Amino acid sequence: MKKKENKIITDDIMIEVEKISMRFNLGIEKGFSLKQGFINLFNIKKRKELKAKRKKNVFWALKNVSFKVNRGEVVGFIGANGAGKSTLLKVVAGVMKPTEGNVDVYGNICPMIELGAGFDPQLTARENIYLNGAVMGYSKNLIDLKFEEIVEFSELREFLDVPVQNFSSGMVARLAFSIATIVDPEILIVDEILSVGDIAFQAKSEKKMMNMIGGGTTVLYVSHSLAAIKKICTKVIWLEKGKIKMVGGTEVCDKYLKYMEGK
Amino acid sequence: MINNLKYVYAKYSFLLKQLVERDFKVKYKRSILGIFWSLLYPVLMMAVMAIVFSNVFKFSTPGVSYLTYLLIGLTYFSYFSEASNLAMSSVVANFSLINKVYMPKYIFPLSKCIFVGINFLLTLIPLYIIIIATGTGLNWAHLFLPYSFICLFLFTVGMGFILSTIAVFIRDMFYIYGIIITIWTYLTPIMYDIKIISNSTLQFLMKLNPLYQIINFARSIILYHNVPTLGQWAGCGVSGLVIFIIGIIVFKKNQDKFIYYV
Repeated sequence: MKKKENKIITDDIMIEVEKISMRFNLGIEKGFSLKQGFINLFNIKKRKELKAKRKKNVFWALKNVSFKVNRGEVVGFIGANGAGKSTLLKVVAGVMKPTEGNVDVYGNICPMIELGAGFDPQLTARENIYLNGAVMGYSKNLIDLKFEEIVEFSELREFLDVPVQNFSSGMVARLAFSIATIVDPEILIVDEILSVGDIAFQAKSEKKMMNMIGGGTTVLYVSHSLAAIKKICTKVIWLEKGKIKMVGGTEVCDKYLKYMEGK
Repeated sequence: MINNLKYVYAKYSFLLKQLVERDFKVKYKRSILGIFWSLLYPVLMMAVMAIVFSNVFKFSTPGVSYLTYLLIGLTYFSYFSEASNLAMSSVVANFSLINKVYMPKYIFPLSKCIFVGINFLLTLIPLYIIIIATGTGLNWAHLFLPYSFICLFLFTVGMGFILSTIAVFIRDMFYIYGIIITIWTYLTPIMYDIKIISNSTLQFLMKLNPLYQIINFARSIILYHNVPTLGQWAGCGVSGLVIFIIGIIVFKKNQDKFIYYV
């Protein structure tokens, strides 16, 4: 992905997605193995079948998707499972390169797509804060500076020197969330992570998220909770089978709901 | 270009450091001797091989200490074999990360090569103990040795890039490489002198082995107290640089496809 940081921003466009398509090859796993090849050697019918299948096994997770996001906009993405929402966010975040098309991002991104990436279960919470922070692209200074805040927010002070493999999954999630949210990014990408930890922590984390969103940050937000989308989003994009079905205000949510109920 | 490198260094050197640190912490967690294994392991390996090859097979290197001769080759080769092996699996092992967060993918093989590289520097301690204990002695040409370290490192990183790319597409590589490394161990004059190969064509072919070039450079300094000849400098440098560049090209060309092979 290109990051044109030196380009003059004229009309405050933060993200420009231009006709991107993303193709996955579903057949890779079954591509060829000696065992299968040997078995199929004696089965001509199966062999032909497989050949045809391999050709068909291309899956377009995204097809010709274009949109622009201006500074300060909070864009919600809705759609059924497998509609391409997460793939789209990953493409914008630069994790994946689109098969076709172009993505331009003007500003630093904080992708909260999957939290706790890079946690090493054998290391302690303290060590993992640094490791995960580095994976998220933080500098050492930033982590040093925010270390207290992370520990405070995650409420894991007494477990700081315990290996993460001994944590409960809720504790791991709390730690991950606390690390992910210390930055003040220009663009925030959120993929359904508000439901973290117990009820008390959920309320706390939601409040923190709202603070981050409210501060003029540009947000891309994926959620299945239409209520949450309606509450925070200024623009909603409805994806269906890798294509944009509808773009608009929060009224898109209602249409989506009607459509899903009618199915 | 230079500015770009500076930017990349500033941005990812911390991550690189963290990854190397993690490897160290995880490797020696709960072992009593911890980092001492880095010193102990090559010594024990050498002891076994020395006993086998000098007593059982009666190998020797006239004029110089066989023990030192053996340990130089062993130190260099085991760096290569361990680092290239770890680097090969590093990309596949970190797929879960590559799939979630953006980071330059070359950082995984590179961090493995650095991690083993630190171990390599530690193994120089037993090597120097042997150099002194066997009476091989020191000389000022030792100051040139770091050149061979750099060449070895570049060569290994390049191989790491190539191997990790292949391993993404063909997982069989993990098994194949095990065999390749074994063959490579015997084809590299580690335990024997290349002069015992009487067939001159074969000897020439064996000299094309980059690891031979690098080890030979080190031996001429340590064992024979020579300043390496121009040919040795070139052989050593070319070995490292060529593979390093090929590795970068191969890796760069294919890295965007990795994500489809998760």
